[in-house]
Amino acid sequence: MLELQNVTHTYPNGVRALDDVTLSIPKGMFGLLGPNGAGKSTLMRTVATLQTPSSGSIRFGEIDILENPEELRKQLGYLPQDFGVYPRVSAYDMLDHMAVLKGISSASDRKATVETLLNQVNLWGVRKKAIAGFSGGMRQRFGIAQALIGNPNLIIVDEPTAGLDPEERNRFLNLLAEIGENVVVILSTHIVEDVADLCPRMAVLIDGKISLQGAPKELIDKARGTVWAKTIERSELDEMREKYEVISTRLFAGQTIIHVLSDGAPGPGFQAVEGGLEDVYFSALASSRRAPADIAA
Amino acid sequence: MFAKIALFELRYQLRNPVFWVATVIFFLLTYGAMASDDITIGGGGNVNANSPVAIVTTHMILTLFFMFVTTAFVANVIVRDEESGFGPLIRSTQVSKFSYLFGRFTGAFVAAACAFLVVPLGIWIGSLMPWLDPETIGPNRFSYYAFAYFVFALPSIFMVSALFFAVATITRSMMYTYVAVVLFLVLYIVLNSVMSSQPEYRDLASYIEPFGLAAFGNATRYWTAAESNTLIPPIDGVLLANRAIWLGFSALMLALAYWRFSFASKSISARKARKADRKQAKLAAKEPRLVDTLPQPTPERAGWARLVARTRFEMGQVLRSPAFFVLLLIGLFNAFAGLFFGNEIYGTPARPLTFALIEPLMGTFALIPIIIAIYYGGELVWRDRERKFNEIIDSTSVPGWSYMVPKTIAVAFVLIATLLISVVAAMLIQAFRGYTDFEIGKYLAWYVLPMSVDMVLLAILSIFIQALSPNKFVGWGIMVIYLIGTIVLSSLGFEHPLYLYGSTGTMRVSDINGANVGWSTGWWLRLYWGAIALVLAVLAHLLWRRGADGALLPRLRQLPRRLASPSGAILACALAVAALSGGWIFYQMNVVDEYRTQDDVEAQLAAYEKKYLKYENLPQPTATDMKLAVDLYPEETRMEARGTIAFVNNTGKPLEQLHLRIADSDAEIRSIEVEGATLDMDDEENKYRIYRFDQPLAPGATGTFTFATRRWQQGMRASGDDTRLVRNGTFLSNSEFVPQIGMSRSGLLSDRATRRKYDLPAELRQAKLEDESARNRNYVGNSPWVTSDITVSTVAGQTPVAPGDRVSDEVRGDRRVARFVSKQPILAFFSIQSADYEVTRRVHNGTTLEIYHHPNHDFNVERMLDAMEVSLDYYEANFGPYQFDYARIIEFPGYASFAQAFAGTIPYSEDMGFIADNGDAESIDYVTYVTAHELGHQYWAHQLISSDQQGGTMLVETMAQYSALMVMKHLYGEDNIRRFLKYELDNYLAARGSEAIEELPLERVEDQGYIHYRKGAVVTYLLQDRLGEDRVNTMLSGLLDRYKFKGPPYANANDLVGGYLSLARNKQERDLVTDLLQRITLYDLKADEAKVTKRADGKFETEITVDAEKFYADGQGQERKALLSDEIEVGVFAQKPGLGAFERKDVLALRRYPVHSGSQTIRIVTDTRPSFAGIDPYNKYIDRNSDDNIVAID
Repeated sequence: MLELQNVTHTYPNGVRALDDVTLSIPKGMFGLLGPNGAGKSTLMRTVATLQTPSSGSIRFGEIDILENPEELRKQLGYLPQDFGVYPRVSAYDMLDHMAVLKGISSASDRKATVETLLNQVNLWGVRKKAIAGFSGGMRQRFGIAQALIGNPNLIIVDEPTAGLDPEERNRFLNLLAEIGENVVVILSTHIVEDVADLCPRMAVLIDGKISLQGAPKELIDKARGTVWAKTIERSELDEMREKYEVISTRLFAGQTIIHVLSDGAPGPGFQAVEGGLEDVYFSALASSRRAPADIAA
Repeated sequence: MFAKIALFELRYQLRNPVFWVATVIFFLLTYGAMASDDITIGGGGNVNANSPVAIVTTHMILTLFFMFVTTAFVANVIVRDEESGFGPLIRSTQVSKFSYLFGRFTGAFVAAACAFLVVPLGIWIGSLMPWLDPETIGPNRFSYYAFAYFVFALPSIFMVSALFFAVATITRSMMYTYVAVVLFLVLYIVLNSVMSSQPEYRDLASYIEPFGLAAFGNATRYWTAAESNTLIPPIDGVLLANRAIWLGFSALMLALAYWRFSFASKSISARKARKADRKQAKLAAKEPRLVDTLPQPTPERAGWARLVARTRFEMGQVLRSPAFFVLLLIGLFNAFAGLFFGNEIYGTPARPLTFALIEPLMGTFALIPIIIAIYYGGELVWRDRERKFNEIIDSTSVPGWSYMVPKTIAVAFVLIATLLISVVAAMLIQAFRGYTDFEIGKYLAWYVLPMSVDMVLLAILSIFIQALSPNKFVGWGIMVIYLIGTIVLSSLGFEHPLYLYGSTGTMRVSDINGANVGWSTGWWLRLYWGAIALVLAVLAHLLWRRGADGALLPRLRQLPRRLASPSGAILACALAVAALSGGWIFYQMNVVDEYRTQDDVEAQLAAYEKKYLKYENLPQPTATDMKLAVDLYPEETRMEARGTIAFVNNTGKPLEQLHLRIADSDAEIRSIEVEGATLDMDDEENKYRIYRFDQPLAPGATGTFTFATRRWQQGMRASGDDTRLVRNGTFLSNSEFVPQIGMSRSGLLSDRATRRKYDLPAELRQAKLEDESARNRNYVGNSPWVTSDITVSTVAGQTPVAPGDRVSDEVRGDRRVARFVSKQPILAFFSIQSADYEVTRRVHNGTTLEIYHHPNHDFNVERMLDAMEVSLDYYEANFGPYQFDYARIIEFPGYASFAQAFAGTIPYSEDMGFIADNGDAESIDYVTYVTAHELGHQYWAHQLISSDQQGGTMLVETMAQYSALMVMKHLYGEDNIRRFLKYELDNYLAARGSEAIEELPLERVEDQGYIHYRKGAVVTYLLQDRLGEDRVNTMLSGLLDRYKFKGPPYANANDLVGGYLSLARNKQERDLVTDLLQRITLYDLKADEAKVTKRADGKFETEITVDAEKFYADGQGQERKALLSDEIEVGVFAQKPGLGAFERKDVLALRRYPVHSGSQTIRIVTDTRPSFAGIDPYNKYIDRNSDDNIVAID
């Protein structure tokens, strides 16, 4: 559905936020995973017609987004990474206002839209309250409600779960899952679980480049047998880093568990890990970190 | 902890828009008041604009205004947490109540104090502006500013902060706090007006007036200009007490706030809880309307819905913002004050007619819509971005126009709403003052409509600038520069409305002439600037930031591509309209009319003076007869005059030249023919011609010249329409269309700074009293006595008026033609008038009294006729016969506020007596007073005219004042004359402090109004009181007989002083005449205390202790004590003299007692028990403090 061809974007200050990104995104949930500053938001904004890339092309179905952003906007729902609210405006009024902006012209259509959505995102009870007083989760649910107005064919949600508590996060992801069947939903996040739980397809964006893409399950399968774990003392960590390619460390009961990347068994005490998506992601991160070092060497 | 909280609060407040709006407004207010004539705060005068007194006064008045801002700061401190729901969170921390409460209070107070620093800054920067008259600016001393800020502003801000902090803490509501502010203001104003009307409360007021105005006023009341310019009152006595009282009060308020404040959030009352529950239940009970599939958008049909929704949303954001509320309150407060107390003449209010309220309303309220246009221009452009909602909106399918268009409409609606609110406020004031003829049409056409357009122009400029500028502060900065720039540019001579954005000229409104002055020019300019604004709006639309790209350059690069759109077409149309209308206006202003800047006018006047003043004393023939035909075409604002002037050589020497000139710039000489003379020099630019007689004009020989002149404002005038020759209400004086013989000083540059700029002497002083040669010229432009025969024609719907008997008056076709012939000689100094008048007539002893007035301005017509009757009765009985058999008062549009006496005709401004409200018994009946004064001029000016030298106006203006006072004395009784005398006295005392050159004794007055009107009235009243009214009048009528209708040598002040001296019967009286007329003498008469005892015979003996001093002052106000030895009235009363209820019967005893310098005791015996006692109770003396003459008896 959504095709990105060699999209590159360089900011006026010289930062290359997107570097030759080529992606093909089908219907359904699509996870875009990447660390902070990897260019996810730039990519999201570019697809959302808010920014014109320096080069490359983007098509959504028949629409050339760069040539004809107005057409895409008619089918677009966008929830930016960080959005604020107007003071003294209630959820109902704001959503109604958004419905007008999205082109729901008749008042009764708007009423149906607003009330259905408020109900759907479970904000019906607080519809008359000012959004300014909402909790983060409520606010994000309001955000998704506005993105859903008018049955968009392309929904872009940028880092929606950052800062949500687990319960809110669950509720939010369930909402997303409901809608992500017949349309393209791009979910950008730096939280691996979000993607693992929801997305049939995904890509990893690091330093403006796509370093991995595919179905999470395939990627996990591919990584099987390359990730090994060992429990070590904290003091050993530096030594391990020297010897092995450590992709992640975490603490467990006061001891440090490291995951290393290796095609065969790296040594004594290591056990093969039944790798999850997290390990796939971390290995991608590690290899991209290694790449510049290799060049330097 | 305390410091941290305070610092945090301060930082928060500094980021608050209220802070920035307030600093900008108050900076502009003070800067503008210093640097421009368009903005005023409080009084003015010739005391240096940056004198310590002026600086302190500005600080105090602005502290009052600043109350709204201070309250926004401190009330916000507490209420904010309540509104945001953040309160409980903070209260649950470890913060102590003291640190929390006072830390925040301190932060907010410091923010308010910092914001107010722009006031001294504004004064200081304003005082540095190069175009200001250096004579009105003294040295800038830091101590003046520090004194004003730290002694007055800061404690007052602290008091206001503490008071309303307490109110906010207790009520926890912004709304209630503002209600309290309004309540406080109302109380303050009521209390103030009560206390200022009763001088005995002055001391009390000095202690309890919270802003220090009264205390400061008390400390500086009798300061001369020199003192006001250099002195700072010591911080002791009452002033110190006042500041201490209010600091104490502030501490009390803070303690109260502390006591009432509780960390536990107030549990809501049961009633409120129930209400909330019910509301919640109602909300929950309602089921949402659910659909399975959401409706599809139809963007192509959503245009209207989008426009409405966007506009409503943007308006809501403005209308519900606290800054809007604060702004509106400040504006309304200022407007209320202006409309309530404005337009008073002689302390008597005018009826609040709509036309009379509109200009004060603009003056006091207009700054608010300007700020709204500029401030919200920025807010609207940046709001979505600042709220971080822009990406959501930008990614919807809204078309580009739905940014710019709804925002502009929203700000326009807000502006119109703001203006309408001010109209409602004005109508409330009208209703409150008992005036219910609401002329909503006039408000709309003369105020709301033009102002709305002007403000929208400004708003669009602001939006345009904001759309281009990198952030809103830069945008606001540019707008402030624009505002200051318009002031600066026009001060520098760049005055053309075609290049000053949004300049739409000045419209003057009048019931007589409607809005004709400035109306069409204004709307042409609005069309032109409207088209330019549309260009800006389209550009702003095309350059709008949509999406994440903020930089201007890429947007500019895309501009040409975006221009190929309907927007581009609109832009092209707008440009075409701007070019066409601009071209038309330019043609009208610069080709048809002549574009002259203020500088051009001044330069021309300076050149005129340099070239021709040397001819001032050149012997010239004197005009003897005038035959004029004046045709007025009011709809074309055109006048055609033809005439023949006969003259005689009465100089005693043969004359070779005849100098003819018209000093008025609007008149055009079409032809002049002088019999037996040829044109020797023709200065067309200055309209000065010199003719040379073929044969020198022999002494006693006569001649004539004929002329044709025209006055016609054909095009639009860049500097504003003519206000003399207008559609309805033309008022032209002869110098504006009849060539004058010889040079005179009238109309030359008078501003000292301007004169110096053009290398002219700073002032043209009059000839000394001793200069006998000066008696050859008279004081009204050396106008001779002439016979007149004037035919005036105008449109059929108007009534023409000129001096003389109306020998014919008929309508011929569509013209009304009237001929006026004067049987008596009149001064060649007269006016013609024409308007659609109603005429009210009365015949009194063979004299036809007529009032020509606007049909609706009949409130005081009967009073004027009565005044004419009593005046003529008194004058004929005491001064001699009145020379005409008619007397006419003719109303003219209020483009100027005066009444003026011409021969038998008295033009009277519509702003003055016609709309005076004499409902209050305590008010001065100035309608009668002024009418009597102008009729007095029929003797003093139009029978006897004085010489053009020092003291000249004493015979004209002082005598007219004296005549009027005598009429008032006979109308109201001697015992009610105090209010008039006191008014004149207080004005004299206040005005002499602002004398720029030197104060002179009355006999040497050089056309100084405060001396010849104000002091003259008091002094001549005392003289008739002492020397005898009849004796004085006999002397005066003798003077009139001697000089009546006579040419040179003209009467001078020596004649009058000699006359008074001749009436003096002893040394005391002679000294008094000398002191009053030949010196600057000030008295200080004071009643210290009075005690009454009941005597054995049942009578009452009052023992009054009085203090008396006499001072002589020099021209600079330096005083020295002089020995007082005089007879001055001392009396005892049942009621307080000067109050409305006071009558003759309340005077228990009143006679003159010998009074000398120092303290003395006087005993008076009366039959009944007196309540008040005093010295000079009616204020007949020039008393430095006229309020302490009377004491209540214990």
